[in-house]
Amino acid sequence: MDGYFYALLIVGLVSTIMCLVAGLMKKAPNDPTIYSVLAIEVVLLVYLVGSIVRVALGEQIAGEPWEFWGYLITALIIPLGAVYWAILERTRWSNFVLAAVGVTVFVMGARMNQIWY
Amino acid sequence: MTGTETNSAGQQPKQKDTRNTGPGRLLIAVYAVFALSATARAGYQIATKFAEAPLAHILSAFAAVVYIVATISLAKPGRTWFKVSLAAVLTELVGVLVVGAISLFDPVAFPHDTVWSLFGRGYGFVPLLLPILGLLWLNKRRPS
Repeated sequence: MDGYFYALLIVGLVSTIMCLVAGLMKKAPNDPTIYSVLAIEVVLLVYLVGSIVRVALGEQIAGEPWEFWGYLITALIIPLGAVYWAILERTRWSNFVLAAVGVTVFVMGARMNQIWY
Repeated sequence: MTGTETNSAGQQPKQKDTRNTGPGRLLIAVYAVFALSATARAGYQIATKFAEAPLAHILSAFAAVVYIVATISLAKPGRTWFKVSLAAVLTELVGVLVVGAISLFDPVAFPHDTVWSLFGRGYGFVPLLLPILGLLWLNKRRPS
């Protein structure tokens, strides 16, 4: 488990909890919940750049490389898709959609770590 | 296209023949994630180790198609799409129950996990929960 895993764990869980609480308080997605999901996207972008650099410097991915990249690219799409889907209809339910992002991306991050090491 | 989006926060108009609003949006989002992961998993299995367990991998691909159909049909308005949704969600329920039971009692028949193996334990049992929530939602938004 590397730093990226822990970054996704913390940012993902904080985002999920924020969005869950906002949804339970019957609030529509607002700046804090949307930015919390975009923060996950930023972590993933850093993960992407960092991983490209590591591979370029000669580090080997222990598992299937294309499985790792597949997970990473899919994970990059999820926060953007969820934000788009959430702001089309701004109700409390959209906050639960946003809440699902953090958990999903965290699980994918755990899998990506397994593949890498 | 659906005309259900309202820009003001809060209440959306009660439209009978759509299922992509309110809790339905969460349902569709979760279905979309499963469509994505099941497709990726099936594609990976078929590309790399199809010969080891053809049945399990065909089943993986079938599950992926069911999730894709469910996602799209739930997002679409109208009576026809409602029927497609109902068929997809029922297929999914039968699939997860049958495959879950077979994988439990006859693990040899399913040496490779599918989304539905062991009632979706590898995915936190969400595959078992999803068709039940789907049917409840479809019932609530049944076209009159």
